[in-house]
Amino acid sequence: MTAHLQLFMILGAVVLLLIIFALLKRGLMSVKYSLLWLLLAVGLVIAAAFPYVVYVLRDLLDIEMPVNLVFLLMFCFVLVVLLSLSIAISQLADKCKRLTQANAILEKRVRDLEDTLKK
Amino acid sequence: MDKKILVIIPCYNEEDNIVNTVENLRAVCPEVDYLVVNDCSTDRSAEILKEHHYPFLDLPVNLGIGGNVQCGYLYAVHHGYDVAVQMDGDGQHDPAYLMEIVQPVLNGECDMCIGSRFIKKEGFQTSFMRRVGIRWLSGMIYLLCGKRVLDVTSGFRATNAGMTAFFSRHYAADYPEPEAILAASLAGYHVGEAPVIMRERQGGVSSIHSFKSAYYMIKVTLALIIDRLSIRKEKGGCA
Repeated sequence: MTAHLQLFMILGAVVLLLIIFALLKRGLMSVKYSLLWLLLAVGLVIAAAFPYVVYVLRDLLDIEMPVNLVFLLMFCFVLVVLLSLSIAISQLADKCKRLTQANAILEKRVRDLEDTLKK
Repeated sequence: MDKKILVIIPCYNEEDNIVNTVENLRAVCPEVDYLVVNDCSTDRSAEILKEHHYPFLDLPVNLGIGGNVQCGYLYAVHHGYDVAVQMDGDGQHDPAYLMEIVQPVLNGECDMCIGSRFIKKEGFQTSFMRRVGIRWLSGMIYLLCGKRVLDVTSGFRATNAGMTAFFSRHYAADYPEPEAILAASLAGYHVGEAPVIMRERQGGVSSIHSFKSAYYMIKVTLALIIDRLSIRKEKGGCA
């Protein structure tokens, strides 16, 4: 791995960390979902600071260019994030459905109450 | 009639049919309660329901047929109904046969009784391709839980209080009819069928279009298999 790439990865990790903390501070992201992204930043720093880890993994997987391994790992990470988002969306959809149903039933109760009050 | 019966009529863009359906039901079965569940229709369904002072639930966002019927089941549970009947709002289901499917449930012969057009093979039988699809799903359900149901996609079904409570907790989202049969059977409920005669829908559009049918078959088949795999753990298995 070239020094350039290492520098770039560390820079990327720092930018990612700054973005995550900014989002957390403004309340745009909950801590629960930030953990995965923080993990990515930590992973980037480790790979950049200790290229030895990347070399060992490269030899294990028999990949020619170390940088390809970094890309592969990033891709796997993105897949995990997407999966976790699908799970979160499914749960949200279920909660939303429950709320909708409860709301509709309450709305009918209110409507019926209003009708009896009018009489 | 000492048993409380609620007819749940899911309604999505049924402005042409809903009045006929409800008036027909009131004329034929004056002793049962009914509830129209308006699934955020984009046409005048909501206004029509208000004008006629029909009891109805108005879902603030569109949930699809599964969440819609489930809301009706939830209402039936809240109000302590003994039997809940699902009946389509498009006039396919004839209220004259309502008691045919309610009676087996009242007698305790089954927890859910499905109105089936394939037992006596009378009346509207749907197209050939649909019958092939229904046979396939029927076979899948037989394979997965050993229960033979002929008209698996029929949305004309009566459930007792226990079954209604079960459905108010677990009910599939988009194409729930076949899945509900499997889920009920796997949870140890008894599913039965009674012969009814159905009419061709009188207006509006079916929720299953021809170009969507492949998606429908794949989705339901997959959902059935997943249900089979997951429910055993949840319920301790009683197929």
